[in-house]
Amino acid sequence: MIASNQERKRFLSWGMVLASLALTGSCATLSGGGKESAAAAPASGKSHEVRSVSQQMLNAAADDENNWIHPNKDYTQTRYSKAAQINTGNVAKLRPVFVFQTAVVESMETSPIVVDGVMFLTTSYDHVYAADAATGQELWHYKHPMGSTTTFCCGPNNRGVAVSGNKLFLGTLDAKLVALDSKTGKPIWTADIADPDKGYSETMAPAVVDGKVLIGTNGGEYGIRGFVKAYDAETGKLLWTFYTIPDRGSEGVWATKDLTGRDMHRNIAAEKTQLAKGRKFEATLGGGVWMTPAVDLKTRTIFFVVGNPSPDLYGAERPGDNLYTDSMVAVDLDSGAYKWHSQYVAHDVWDLDAASPPILVDAKDKDGNVIPAVIHGGKTGHVYVHDRKDGKLIRFSEAMVPQEGVWTLPTPQGARMALGANGGVEWSPMAFSPKTNFAYAINLIQPMTYHVEATAYPDGKLWLGGAFKTIPTEPQSGNVTAVDINTGKIAWQAKTDQPMIGGISATARELVFAGEGNGLFKAYDAKTGKVLWSFQCGAGANAPPVTYMVDGKQYVAVAAGGNTQIDFKRGNSVFVFTLPE
Amino acid sequence: MTSSVATACSCSRSLNEAGTEAPGTRGAWQSRCRTRHERRAAIFAALLLSFSPGGLASQVDASQVQIETGRKKAQYCSGCHGPDGNSELTDYPILAGQTTRYSYLQLKDYKSGRRTDEMMNAVAAGLEKQDMLDLAAYYASQRPKGPRMQAGETSVPFKPDPARVEAGKKKSAEVLCTMCHLGEFAGQNEVPRVAGQHPEYVIKQLKAFKTGKRTNDAGTMSSVSKTLTDEDIENLAHFVASL
Repeated sequence: MIASNQERKRFLSWGMVLASLALTGSCATLSGGGKESAAAAPASGKSHEVRSVSQQMLNAAADDENNWIHPNKDYTQTRYSKAAQINTGNVAKLRPVFVFQTAVVESMETSPIVVDGVMFLTTSYDHVYAADAATGQELWHYKHPMGSTTTFCCGPNNRGVAVSGNKLFLGTLDAKLVALDSKTGKPIWTADIADPDKGYSETMAPAVVDGKVLIGTNGGEYGIRGFVKAYDAETGKLLWTFYTIPDRGSEGVWATKDLTGRDMHRNIAAEKTQLAKGRKFEATLGGGVWMTPAVDLKTRTIFFVVGNPSPDLYGAERPGDNLYTDSMVAVDLDSGAYKWHSQYVAHDVWDLDAASPPILVDAKDKDGNVIPAVIHGGKTGHVYVHDRKDGKLIRFSEAMVPQEGVWTLPTPQGARMALGANGGVEWSPMAFSPKTNFAYAINLIQPMTYHVEATAYPDGKLWLGGAFKTIPTEPQSGNVTAVDINTGKIAWQAKTDQPMIGGISATARELVFAGEGNGLFKAYDAKTGKVLWSFQCGAGANAPPVTYMVDGKQYVAVAAGGNTQIDFKRGNSVFVFTLPE
Repeated sequence: MTSSVATACSCSRSLNEAGTEAPGTRGAWQSRCRTRHERRAAIFAALLLSFSPGGLASQVDASQVQIETGRKKAQYCSGCHGPDGNSELTDYPILAGQTTRYSYLQLKDYKSGRRTDEMMNAVAAGLEKQDMLDLAAYYASQRPKGPRMQAGETSVPFKPDPARVEAGKKKSAEVLCTMCHLGEFAGQNEVPRVAGQHPEYVIKQLKAFKTGKRTNDAGTMSSVSKTLTDEDIENLAHFVASL
């Protein structure tokens, strides 16, 4: 797209107005999408056209500096872009070019997909928008007709769509998978994934590879039996299901220590007595899969992490390690067959599970040889580095957040740990830069008390088995942390005023981008953690940023819709930034 | 429930119990309500005979039809909950704007006995699943008109105490209410809207959770309310009423 001078000027002044309005926190009064933004359309008067996405494009996404076509950039999920126009020297000049306002003022966790100048973004309650990625002009809007029954935890979120061919794939709160025509936003097929009456729901962005759409499920707070399913991208037919709770053997090895070697204070004898009673609990043992799997095309393996057992805080009636909850799991892409698992926390009673999506990297093993590895940022506040072939832990990072009182057992009146139930690293995807060999993670610091309440399976109601509460006298905060994956050492850490949730991205020109609950969206020096630029979005910037190029110009985009889980100020917009001419 | 007579008896008995919970505050209200309830109970007895399950035509806009069906069925609830779900009796909840899922599951729980209230158990005993869904859909479609407080025989709009609102807001942030109740306590799924609810009802429920009198919350509210003082509960009631 090439804008005329006049239009550029209008662009600029509009951007400045936006900037000043946004700084005063009142940007939400501006109209972004629809007719208003038509003023900033390309000179031809036409928006960028929606293009088809081939499997070849999907495979080569890591090297594609123009597009952001996977939820986490590419199948390895690095959230690392080679786009190089914006760098540490000029990022301070970054300014908004448009604000895309959606019709939904509620928590935004979307990671936009950008294909050849067209952006696909989602909102709470499963709306999808297509917009010109250089101008913000709306192309179409899809509103999912929500079923009468929904059951979901932590907000009516959606984290984005996946794209392949001429289709977008959307998981919905009423536990459906919908294929949309990417040109029109019209549904092509809809598949029922599971029964929402039982606590199943979808908020994750699926992965799509070689004609298969991969999707997990929420519901660990409702007593579901978790899974990852593969659907035929053409027809919506179910191809395979991997249950995150195995048919037999969920009791595991009766681990007394977590993966970092700390005693979890389990009463193994009591658990074994309970197990011997023979009460079945596997069908309600939880194990949601919150985030998009990583795909190793070479070994045709997918990697995902499994969430907490149900109920979250009351463990007495679910004896054993509760496999494969709180674990990283590898399964065969084509059959869904189990390959390996590695459990972080056995028999979790703190909801300190695994949510942030795995990243495939090359890392040094214990002997210093560079091998294919897979990493995960835990709610425990550690980055874990595993051998990709068997899941063996190579190393874990220094703790990124305080670890006071870990693992104190919950009590009815509440037991304190200065590691809150939201993490550490929540669902927020990490980024990895092969240039620095750093994993970038955003963390929450929320001291909490953990409360247990014996509760029977409630059949479709939130089932925490207790509660967690913050402590009024203890301040909360957050940080952005860079971890050297080859040593496990923290390279740098930048403190933030508020707990961090939403995600982070990195670029080849030594930048990382992350937003905060107070509305600040910041660029950091990837090597040092120095803040190089910030912008006030006026609502919580609690979504994973993306960067892309259109007609030779680099853009950075982030949704600012606030967050339900941490109760950050809600908004409805995606902010898009670029450098001035 | 076995007969209309039994319904009427259980209704008035439950009201007496409600009265004893806060003695001396509403003798007049009690007598007024008792007659209203007796009337309502009789209506209900008739209603139970007339309810027919199911019957939505799939070709038409189910939600509008359902709301209208629910409206008709809700006539029999209006004695206590108001014609549009805006109860003027302050220890009976405002149902207008409540989430469909919550209302449905509460009715289901009343029917199964998971939640106990002599009157509501009797009322729900005669409801089929479709009735519950229709009623829930109707109330969800109505606009809440704001909390009230008892003033002699009648009730008047409730004026929250700003200091209590502030204290309640703090406590709410501390115990992470909106993680489940959604921002502004708007409610989602089976987690109820409590924004703008009668403080008296909110206090009654929080205390019921705390003392273990109400247990159909799957443990969450029991656990949350365990560390709340009476003062906290009062403050929280003012805060959510102010929303």
